[in-house]
Amino acid sequence: MQVSSLKFQRNAGKSLKNKILQGALKNIEPRFVGARREAISHLEDFEAVRSRATAIRDQVLANLDQWLIRFEQEAQRRGAIVHWAETAAEANRIICDLARQYNVKKAVKSKSMVSEECGLNDALEAAGVQVIETDLGEYILQLAHEPPSHIVAPVLHKTRDEVSDLFELHHHLPRKTGIAELCQEAREILRPHFISADMGISGANFLIAETGSALIVTNEGNGRLSTTLPRVHVALTGIEKVVPTLEDATTLIRLLPRSATGQDITNYVSVLTGAKAADESDGPEHFHIVLLDNGRSKMLGTKLQAMLRCIRCGACMNHCPVYQNVGGHAYGWVYPGPMGSVLTPSFAGLAATLPLPNASTLCGACAVVCPVSIPLPDLLREVRHQQHQANLRPWLERKVLAVWAWLALRPIWYARYTGLMSRVLAWLGGAKGRLTWLPGVWTRERDLPAPAGQTFRDLYRKRDKS
Amino acid sequence: MSARENILQRIRSAQAHAVVPEVERIIANPVRGPQPAPVANLVSRFIEQAQALSSQVLRVDARNEIPHTIAHYLAENNLGNHALCWPDFLEWDWIAARIVVAAQPASADDAVGITGAFCAIAETGTLMLLSGAHTPAATSLLPETHIAVLDSARIVATMEDAWDLLRRERGSLPRAVNFISGPSRTADIEQTVTLGAHGPARVLIVLVS
Amino acid sequence: MRVGLFVTCLVDLMRPSIGFATLRLLAHAGCDVIVPEHQTCCGQPGYNAGDHTAARELAIKLTLEFADCDYVVVPSGSCAGMIRVHYPTLFPDDSEPACRVRALAARTYELTDFLVNIAKLQDVPGSFSGNLTYHDSCSGLRELRVKQQPRTLLAQLPNVTLKEMAQCETCCGFGGAFSVKFDEISSRMADNKARHIHASGANTVVAGDLGCLLNIEGRLRRIGDQATRVLHIAEVLAGEEGHVPCK
Repeated sequence: MQVSSLKFQRNAGKSLKNKILQGALKNIEPRFVGARREAISHLEDFEAVRSRATAIRDQVLANLDQWLIRFEQEAQRRGAIVHWAETAAEANRIICDLARQYNVKKAVKSKSMVSEECGLNDALEAAGVQVIETDLGEYILQLAHEPPSHIVAPVLHKTRDEVSDLFELHHHLPRKTGIAELCQEAREILRPHFISADMGISGANFLIAETGSALIVTNEGNGRLSTTLPRVHVALTGIEKVVPTLEDATTLIRLLPRSATGQDITNYVSVLTGAKAADESDGPEHFHIVLLDNGRSKMLGTKLQAMLRCIRCGACMNHCPVYQNVGGHAYGWVYPGPMGSVLTPSFAGLAATLPLPNASTLCGACAVVCPVSIPLPDLLREVRHQQHQANLRPWLERKVLAVWAWLALRPIWYARYTGLMSRVLAWLGGAKGRLTWLPGVWTRERDLPAPAGQTFRDLYRKRDKS
Repeated sequence: MSARENILQRIRSAQAHAVVPEVERIIANPVRGPQPAPVANLVSRFIEQAQALSSQVLRVDARNEIPHTIAHYLAENNLGNHALCWPDFLEWDWIAARIVVAAQPASADDAVGITGAFCAIAETGTLMLLSGAHTPAATSLLPETHIAVLDSARIVATMEDAWDLLRRERGSLPRAVNFISGPSRTADIEQTVTLGAHGPARVLIVLVS
Repeated sequence: MRVGLFVTCLVDLMRPSIGFATLRLLAHAGCDVIVPEHQTCCGQPGYNAGDHTAARELAIKLTLEFADCDYVVVPSGSCAGMIRVHYPTLFPDDSEPACRVRALAARTYELTDFLVNIAKLQDVPGSFSGNLTYHDSCSGLRELRVKQQPRTLLAQLPNVTLKEMAQCETCCGFGGAFSVKFDEISSRMADNKARHIHASGANTVVAGDLGCLLNIEGRLRRIGDQATRVLHIAEVLAGEEGHVPCK
């Protein structure tokens, strides 16, 4: 997917004025924030589970190569074929080659953010494969030709009316208005595709080294259908998703649905190992697993390594006040919100993503809820630091901060400058004691309360003397 | 160098140390995370959780009551009297209950699928099904109504207990382990939960004491 | 207890009354207070913009200025957080200057945290009466665990009714440079905060960080609310006498 993060400012402005979007974003507080709080309260000791989950992820990252090798070994012993892709283009090529190899005309997809990252659908369609998204949210996006705005709830930004319009336009059936009716219609439209598809493509929430398995969580059943009915199953995911044992996967599953949707467990948790046996009547004949790097290994051994713990729950963006106000599209890529503001610069480069780590007050609400203790504000600061070291910070900002630092190191000059500013601002504030206009953007939608006219330092010195 | 070698090389060069992890030892000694507090009555806990997730639970005292219980449920819900089932269930007395069963692979036209379960998890009201030649996965997936026959003795406390049971009894994982916690659902439209997405819209658990 | 007051650049420039209120509170708590004359800025603006060099230079300066204090007290969660939490990350090594910076960080406190947990203040000199609501500034809350302390102190004022607002822990949108770099989002966040303040029924909003207060007050006034008072916790606790002596 194309990165358009440089347009963040403009897109955020549009989002703020978009009344339909603003209405949809109001769902975040009750459905995600409130629901998560309730589900986490079902754990006797959330901190203990979080601590263990963090340790599991760190254990793997410390020796990622060994765990990947072990996973590959066991997966292949059980009959899966494991592919490695350094880049998104390579992953697409591998999967297109598989489609060619198996004479695939139609592929059904269960939700996969990594496949968005790669732009896999476009690559497959260019190769002559019909691709059908089956996750309801992703299907709606496919009809609307839009990217997801959230990693768990991809059509968070859409209203029921918009969905009704889309279905009416594309299905050529009488317009449905109720949510249950719309879901039923989607079920009926998509069902034949599950049956007739040659290939099912999924992600994997976790790869289990102990058993060589891919673990997939869904609620709709499309994940199970896509990975059971078609004769070929391809699971595409990032190299950081491996976990050591079934127990480790289970610990993470205690946190993932609770953090993401406020469920104690997702409707379906599927642990898939190898292809179907000769005497089985269902299951794919061929199971391929594609491990994608695409910039992940470069984060190892750096100050951003902790970001690789991420289990893609979306809690950070749900609790981020900036995300809550502008939604996901403004961020300009697959991964929005706090985690996206660390990952997108890491994957797409600093220059293409300048606004992202700065579009944050570093309030820390994200870090409070992250189930694997990723210190997101620290990582955002680190990306800002990288921008500074790469000389990418805006010229004006650098100049202003240089002047500020110069003054702050020279108290006499500092006192003169601040004394002057205090007098000027107090005078501009007048009798009202506030400024309704100042050069710059502060006063576009706010006043600025005026200062007293003298600095504390000056007043204290005078008071001290008296 | 292949992509695999390049990726592994990049990973290795990022590591600060040369300590070889004990991958096999860690795998041989799996560590459970913090567990929920033990529950006095696993069966009632399971029923409570399953019902909270919109599964229906009917209890029977003996296996010979199952066909009639299912027949009654199907009639009550206008679900016809045809069902798919796992081959091992064919020998039950369906005829007396006036249900027509077949043990063939599920198709899009099947309305009811009757399966067993390897075990169930009380913590979350979850069924654990293992795929296999005699336990096809699609029977619990394609039909709109899924009926699971569960022995109450097979209810364990947690998913970790379920893995231990699987290791003890089977040794290795089948192609698919499916944990099922109620009818399929989606909340993609306006974050409003709707039951019945692509999987079954109805789950009945027949719990045999 | 020899306490150094780090007044912060924002208080120094924009609202000295907070500095005087803090002095009054510290005196009331029995502290021996010094106000190092050449203090300027803790370095957070540069640090948050990714410039570690400038931040380090200011940290060394601050450490020298407050070297002979038992404690450094700051009427701001964000500046106290910068010193207490972030200075150590800028000076992780074992050199002498680094050890001194880390030692200073360890004895730096946000004002209400100091008054409750170190000075163990049992009463406050203020006489504020009325209902107010408290905004939990992010850095104080999440970096320094300042939550109960201001409420404990407010409870010592007999004529104060605290009406908690919904979303009291949600960021007001200031975030330093964020407030001008992303001013539209910042103003929307301030607007949300204003709505919650109004919904709380309180006619005064109090917080521990002047940045938040300027942002919140700025938005309140722009939407036509000239009535809601916007005060720093130090001003409320110290009473009228804490205000700037008239000049």
